[in-house]
Amino acid sequence: MPEPRKPSNVSFLRNRARFRLLGLTVDDMIRLFFGGNAVVSVVVLGLITIFLFKEGHSFFGDNRRNLETYRRAGLEYVDYMRQQERDHTALIRWLSDVRVRQLRELTEVQGMDLAAANAALAPFDDFAGSFSDTVEDLRGLVSDLTDVASATKTQFLVNEDKRVQKQQLLAEGLTEQAEQVQIDPVDFVAAAEVLTGTLPYYRELAAAFEEALRAVVAEIPAAVAPGQQPRLDRFTQLVADYIAGFPAVEQRLSTWDPNIPVGFGEAITAFVFGRQWLTASFWQDWYGIVPLFTGSLLVAFIALVIAVPMGVCSAIYINQIARPAEQRIVKPCIEFISAIPSVVLGFFGIAVLGQTLRALSQFESLAWIPGFPFSERLNALTAGCLLALIATPTIFTLAEDAINNVPRAFKEASLALGATRLQTIVRIVMPASLSGVISAVLLGLGRVIGETMVVLLCAGNRIQIPDFTKGLAIVTEPVHTMTGIVAQEMGEVVRGSIHYRALFCVGIVLFFLSLLINYVAQKVVRRYKLPGS
Amino acid sequence: MPAADTPLPPPASASASAGVFARRPTPARRTEQVAFWFFRAVTYTVLACGFFVFATIFWRGSEAVFQAQFPFVNFDFLTQAPETLHVFQHEGAERRLGDAEFRVFRENNDLQGVRVESYVYSAGGIFPNIVGTLLLVVGSMSIALLLGVAAAIYLSEYSSHSRFIETIRLSILNLAGVPSIVFGLFGFGLFVLFAPVFGEVAAPNAPSLRLWPLDLYLNFTGWNVSLLAGWFTLAFMVLPVVITASEESLRSVPKGFREGSLALGATKWQSIRTNVLPYAMPGILTSSILGIARVAGETAPIMFTAAYVVRDKLPWQGLDHWYDIFFQGVMALPYHIYVVSSKIPQNEYTERVQYGAAFVFLFLVALVALASVLLRNKLRSSYRW
Repeated sequence: MPEPRKPSNVSFLRNRARFRLLGLTVDDMIRLFFGGNAVVSVVVLGLITIFLFKEGHSFFGDNRRNLETYRRAGLEYVDYMRQQERDHTALIRWLSDVRVRQLRELTEVQGMDLAAANAALAPFDDFAGSFSDTVEDLRGLVSDLTDVASATKTQFLVNEDKRVQKQQLLAEGLTEQAEQVQIDPVDFVAAAEVLTGTLPYYRELAAAFEEALRAVVAEIPAAVAPGQQPRLDRFTQLVADYIAGFPAVEQRLSTWDPNIPVGFGEAITAFVFGRQWLTASFWQDWYGIVPLFTGSLLVAFIALVIAVPMGVCSAIYINQIARPAEQRIVKPCIEFISAIPSVVLGFFGIAVLGQTLRALSQFESLAWIPGFPFSERLNALTAGCLLALIATPTIFTLAEDAINNVPRAFKEASLALGATRLQTIVRIVMPASLSGVISAVLLGLGRVIGETMVVLLCAGNRIQIPDFTKGLAIVTEPVHTMTGIVAQEMGEVVRGSIHYRALFCVGIVLFFLSLLINYVAQKVVRRYKLPGS
Repeated sequence: MPAADTPLPPPASASASAGVFARRPTPARRTEQVAFWFFRAVTYTVLACGFFVFATIFWRGSEAVFQAQFPFVNFDFLTQAPETLHVFQHEGAERRLGDAEFRVFRENNDLQGVRVESYVYSAGGIFPNIVGTLLLVVGSMSIALLLGVAAAIYLSEYSSHSRFIETIRLSILNLAGVPSIVFGLFGFGLFVLFAPVFGEVAAPNAPSLRLWPLDLYLNFTGWNVSLLAGWFTLAFMVLPVVITASEESLRSVPKGFREGSLALGATKWQSIRTNVLPYAMPGILTSSILGIARVAGETAPIMFTAAYVVRDKLPWQGLDHWYDIFFQGVMALPYHIYVVSSKIPQNEYTERVQYGAAFVFLFLVALVALASVLLRNKLRSSYRW
């Protein structure tokens, strides 16, 4: 019997003593190195949040001070009256609109010549003239008070500047020069008393104004052009409503108190629900995100209305209907469209599309389209069309993926039961891939909301809430967007100013909006996942 | 109805004797046909729109870049810096002169009483812009590839399912959806205003850190508007693209390659280095090309981190130290297109630079995108396992 073999040299089984540093082998270190790089994405996401907040967080404090100055210097008080004056101006605009319509009806429908039509409108013009004269006293008062209030504010701002200057001088150790900076305190109480002192006069004025309005409106001439009578009746109603609002104005003026502190919540609501984005104004700066937000939404909506049917239809076509050869050619071509840089598309919008659309809108045969004809070359429609071109390949690719992921068996079962291909597509394939398609649309939306250059170049950059009363014609209004305002104003603002911080706040809103859209898209996919896929 | 459709019987015309399986024209079929033609029309409309944009830019832009005489390419446009264009009538002829030529002309001729119209950036060429774009792309892609490939290796080779890995994946996914302008803001806040710079004295108005025991300080004063800030901003922006695509290509390498190597006693890193990376490399390169197309095309992130409207020197001219090249802004094509399309009027004098710059830019980006598409198609057929 052979002897049991002695274990031979088994060194190949033994671990060699490995080089270690701080208890880590080389392999561990390599692993840590790669792991560290993977963490970078988390770190970047965190850094984005931190730096947006670092630059943006003190906006609300600044805005609170901004609003407090507005109140204490009495600008708010004057704005109550000014609103009354503005409403009157809106009524005058209504009148002149009625005049234009009457004139058009007279000349175009009834065939009068221009001079005769103008003569027929003379009583109306007299009425319009005396109507617009009624506001003169109020306008005078507002103008006087404006001077008072803005003087107070200017003095306050000058003082603030001096204070900063003094602090800087002190920080540099120049005590003597610092002492020479004179700061005269602003007497807000006295300034407010000047304003509130005019209240009795305002009451008299308002009463006289009301009386004059009633007297003028009582003698409103009937419409010369019969078709416009309803608009004139509506006008009398509007004036009655306007007069009915007077006590509320008076109430606000009499209860106004400059010393009510502006709460922090008020500073936040002024940003989130603010209807004005007004910077570098002589009177008062407003940082309200609503006009930008609605602008972004409007443009995104237009883009999606165009891009969703296009993207989804072409995804269906390529995946389900097209022949393989066609598929191989068309698919990369559509994906290739997404390679067009957005700034080039923006330039295309300025140079070609905007012109073309405007020229197209001038054709009388196309006048039935809402918003046509329009005169602004750059508007939400131009930007929306171009954004649709950006969103279509995104939606197409993702939707095509989703349709492709529907198990073959579903389709084959449907066809085997005798359904036509169209029936199979509509009833089987689309419902099965719906979650994927929805998330494709959401990611397309994210792409469109976050797109900057196209909206900056082509959306028209008018900072105003689109006029929703216009119905579908709203699409031809120039708008401004959140991404556009950051890109446009960031380069020009003073670092650290309230305006600068407001732009970072817009960035924060954008950041969280995109996170939200992404989150919902992922949720949709996960929630409606097909069994077994 | 497309004839070559496998799961369906052939159309009736092809086999009249098919009997019960023959297609009969029914209302359902007619609806189907109409619907299919509708889908087809929509698809080709999308293609036509895209093609129209390409064609317009290429057609109008080629007028600026190409010429009828030898050498057919207008090299002046590609090799000169932007200049102001002066247009005026002189001795009955209209003259369009760049700034330098115009000065010489004014020395030699009497231009009293001649009305000269000037258009900024409309003469000369776009050379500094091309150079700046290339610098930005090369730098940011190097950073993004280094970080991205390493992260992808970790995610595909080392990681196991855990909450931590889920967090990383989630943030990559979310990072991909963040608007580019937010990256711009972030880059501005972090790199332009806050990033650390070595200095021999502590910064007066910014946080600074002494590197004990050296006599050197880290001053958090930011890199200003500079190449470096642009690189990092763009790199972080494409990072998700690079990570996702690289991971995909790493995962597509079969498990057996790794297992065989590990079974022969190689360490984890050895098997990755020798048996995984070489096969994944082509895929990773494709992903990086996709990233390049994205980096080159973005304007918003570099608007306030790296791009200057005008800089009269090329990046390597007039430097005090070699490393100053990183701390200076550059001109870039996308930003230049933005400037020339929004800040100067659209007319026959300015459209040369407008369309020309757009053409060159679109051409470069399309070239990169085309390369990635071709490479991807080639790779799909080359590796089969």
